[in-house]
Amino acid sequence: MLRAALVDAQLARPPRGLWGDAARRLRRNRPAMVGLFCIVLFASAAILAPLIAPYDPYAMNGSSLDAPSLTHLFGTDLLGRDIFSRVLYGAQISLFVGVGAVAIALVIGGALGAIAGGFGGRVDGVIMRTTDVFLSIPSILLAIGIVTALGRGMPQLTLAIAVSYAPTFARLLRGSLLALREADYVVAARTIGASRMRILVRHMLPNALTPLIVQATLVLATAIIDIAGLGFLGLGPTDPRTPEWGTMLVDARRFMQSAPHIVVFIGGAIVISAIGFNLLGDGLRESLDPKLKR
Amino acid sequence: MSDQHLLEVRDLVVRFRTHDGAVHAVNGVSFDLAAGEMLGVAGESGCGKSVTNLAIVGLLPKPAGRVEGGSVKLDGRELTTLKEEELRQVRGSEIAMIFQDPMTSLNPVLRIEEQLIETIQAHREVTKEAARTRAIELLTAVGVANPESRLRSYPHEFSGGMRQRVMIAMALALEPRVLIADEPTTALDVTIQAQVLDLLRRLTEERGTATILVTHDLGVLAGMADRVNVMYAGAVIESGTTDDLFANPRHPYTVGLLRSIPRLDGETGGKLVPIEGRPPDLIDAPVGCSFYARCAWRTDRCATETPALLPIDGGKGPIVTSGPTATHVAACFNPVAPAEVAEGRPLPRAEGATR
Amino acid sequence: MGRYIVRRLIAAIPVLIGLSILLFAYIRILPGDPCVAILGQHRTPEACAALRENLGLDLPLWEQYIRYLTNTLSGDLGASVVNSQPFLAEFLTRFPGTVELTIGALVFALGAGIPLGRLAARKVGGRIDGLITGVSLFGVSIPVFVLGLALVAIFGVILEWLPTQGRIDARARFDATSGLLLIDTLFAGRLDLFVDVVRHLILPSIALGSIPLAIIARITRASVIEVVNEDYVRTARSKGLKEKTVDNRHVMRNAWLPVTTVVGLQAGGLLGGAVLTETVFVWNGVGRWVVDAIQNRDYPIVQSTILVFALIFLVVNLLVDIGYALLNPKIRYQ
Repeated sequence: MLRAALVDAQLARPPRGLWGDAARRLRRNRPAMVGLFCIVLFASAAILAPLIAPYDPYAMNGSSLDAPSLTHLFGTDLLGRDIFSRVLYGAQISLFVGVGAVAIALVIGGALGAIAGGFGGRVDGVIMRTTDVFLSIPSILLAIGIVTALGRGMPQLTLAIAVSYAPTFARLLRGSLLALREADYVVAARTIGASRMRILVRHMLPNALTPLIVQATLVLATAIIDIAGLGFLGLGPTDPRTPEWGTMLVDARRFMQSAPHIVVFIGGAIVISAIGFNLLGDGLRESLDPKLKR
Repeated sequence: MSDQHLLEVRDLVVRFRTHDGAVHAVNGVSFDLAAGEMLGVAGESGCGKSVTNLAIVGLLPKPAGRVEGGSVKLDGRELTTLKEEELRQVRGSEIAMIFQDPMTSLNPVLRIEEQLIETIQAHREVTKEAARTRAIELLTAVGVANPESRLRSYPHEFSGGMRQRVMIAMALALEPRVLIADEPTTALDVTIQAQVLDLLRRLTEERGTATILVTHDLGVLAGMADRVNVMYAGAVIESGTTDDLFANPRHPYTVGLLRSIPRLDGETGGKLVPIEGRPPDLIDAPVGCSFYARCAWRTDRCATETPALLPIDGGKGPIVTSGPTATHVAACFNPVAPAEVAEGRPLPRAEGATR
Repeated sequence: MGRYIVRRLIAAIPVLIGLSILLFAYIRILPGDPCVAILGQHRTPEACAALRENLGLDLPLWEQYIRYLTNTLSGDLGASVVNSQPFLAEFLTRFPGTVELTIGALVFALGAGIPLGRLAARKVGGRIDGLITGVSLFGVSIPVFVLGLALVAIFGVILEWLPTQGRIDARARFDATSGLLLIDTLFAGRLDLFVDVVRHLILPSIALGSIPLAIIARITRASVIEVVNEDYVRTARSKGLKEKTVDNRHVMRNAWLPVTTVVGLQAGGLLGGAVLTETVFVWNGVGRWVVDAIQNRDYPIVQSTILVFALIFLVVNLLVDIGYALLNPKIRYQ
């Protein structure tokens, strides 16, 4: 009866939910775990900066442009400030502004997308044309426009980044909702007379959330890059002494010949954070989409 | 058995490597095909029908799928060891294929013309004009109206039935000796199905093309095929002439298959009976009879020993493997008795009776 | 096909109107007295009066908008508050630089991205695939200006192989009619200068092209993998076509479609990235000009640059969509 036992054993495999399945697949996805590691590194640098930074990022702690050493891991900048400490505090700015911007973008874009995709008709048309307008402007230029119009500063920076991503989220959610509208179980819910709102909230939104989560993770990488980009263009925080990565690069660039390591350390910090979110985003996409299972 | 068959498949074994282990897709399939014969192959999806066919022409998905044993001979020429270029020359020219879904089997961005002409030019040194003339002939032969103008069309401008006609035209373009039609009508409307099958039969008869017609629809085979192979879990489990097999099915799986299809002649009046359970997971190496788990006739022997394909009457004479006198063979230790066929399960026996 | 283009043009109208409203609002939401906000330190009573007149600041808002629209449509895109130069004239002298840079980046991205994507797709899961995936991950994760600075440091400062600043040797004297130096040097018969222009172009193109390269390689890989498993590719093989024919005709003709769309979408990223790349490589194009304008608070320049870049982006995508339709018969005959 060995065969019969085998067959039974196979049928008896415990069922797992979508999320459990996804989490299991994600844990097995090595690139995603590397990404998560980078993110943890980045996030703990940001959150623990006040505890682990050896020096005050604003204060002069050494002579100008010291090479990396045990006292100054990453060396010092022109004003003798400890670059390691500044990179840690820079992570804080990137994390807070980046997460803040993506969160705002998710709320604005998500709401617009849900309205457009859930209700359709003229509302949908107006919202979609509006996103078309924003999407027709290259995102860094849109952010430049917003920061120059509102003036420099962290809130403005956050808002600028948020506005340039919100349209993407809106379109993404709307697209998933439209596709779901034709899904059998939604049609089924409609036939048994579930209300429009209930169908949207209970049946459609949870399923449309997956691509949004993936996109938000990937966009965090772009946000970190764009924040630094705006800083590099001189549109970062109001106080030029603020340890923002892009702003720091402007200074570092002037000493490319004599102290190239500064660019490497700051650039490396940006790249590692961005790689982290990109890897995790890709991993999430693979594990959340059962169809991609190979 | 003296004379050579057009196509001889012997002990063909195909494995797929996957993340979960090797899938034993085809486990020792053997059959012959004579010139002009139409062989039907029946079985549930995943039973290895299509994989066998792809293996014959060396089109298993790479690198996962591999022929790991056995031989395929076309006119005595071994195909499994041919170089890719030699095999390419066989494909399309000597063995042609028609696939299930005409919606996806034609390239959407190329005109019908290009797809027909490239087929001809892949095997024959002819001018584009000559190939085009031939393409028009072919479209006429498969019943496409206005072939000249339709040549300029793209696949999406055709209906499903018309596309399958184009596929047939393409397959027959080089007068192949063997045609493998893999579920050629499954994706079509019922009325169109009949037309396409008629066409297929007429063209292959006219040209003497030997055909392998794969389908899960036994009704189609009853009206078309000379012989039928029933496949289960990567092996042929019963084979015989269409008449023999339908009149006197002996393998429990064949019986189940026949009982699970609706009959329009209403003769039996019996209920439709599905076969309980699922086909085995082909990741485990097969032990014993592969149908064991679902079989109502199973005995303890079936769990440990794999039955061979043997004549149903236990005759010792030579096994005829093709043609109208082909021997009816089944792979079963405990074949279904004729009286049990209608019942679909073993009849109650007297106490103490053993088999 | 003609109907398709017309339909696309009509669909662009609301976007253009929205864009004009957005940019009209841009200058008017600046806090404080518009004259102070816009002119800043360049404020003189005369300049102030001219600005009021030009923007129609004393008129009702909707009339201001109409004026902005008519001005824009007649080619009056405002003027610099710093030197009173009209936008369009200055823009046109700088635009060829940006065109040359973005085309260089695109050539690099396509020229390397498509073969890499095809190569990765052919060896899915293999070592080369992993390497290419890694490179493309790096490409989308490194900011253009960081990559640019790294390229400058390695190839310019350390190895001294390639020039890192400007578009051409500053001492070069020749007749630059079109502003596209690649063409101008050839017409002037100065092959030496042509080579010099190419050498100047290499590093900025790589910096700017790295993101599109990564995205194009990825999408090509995914697209080829998908198409390779299509039934019609199996059909093509079953017909006994040569592997090369299967690859070029059946696989690539279909795999191109999503790649085309992505290339169009990259145009926006390229224009935006040009702003940063030009800054790093001291490249005389629109991007560096707009960065100067940002620093000088020269709002009309920023405003009109955004407008023109958005228009270019829309036109490029229209062209790409037409190209897509030409490649895809299903759309062509709708």
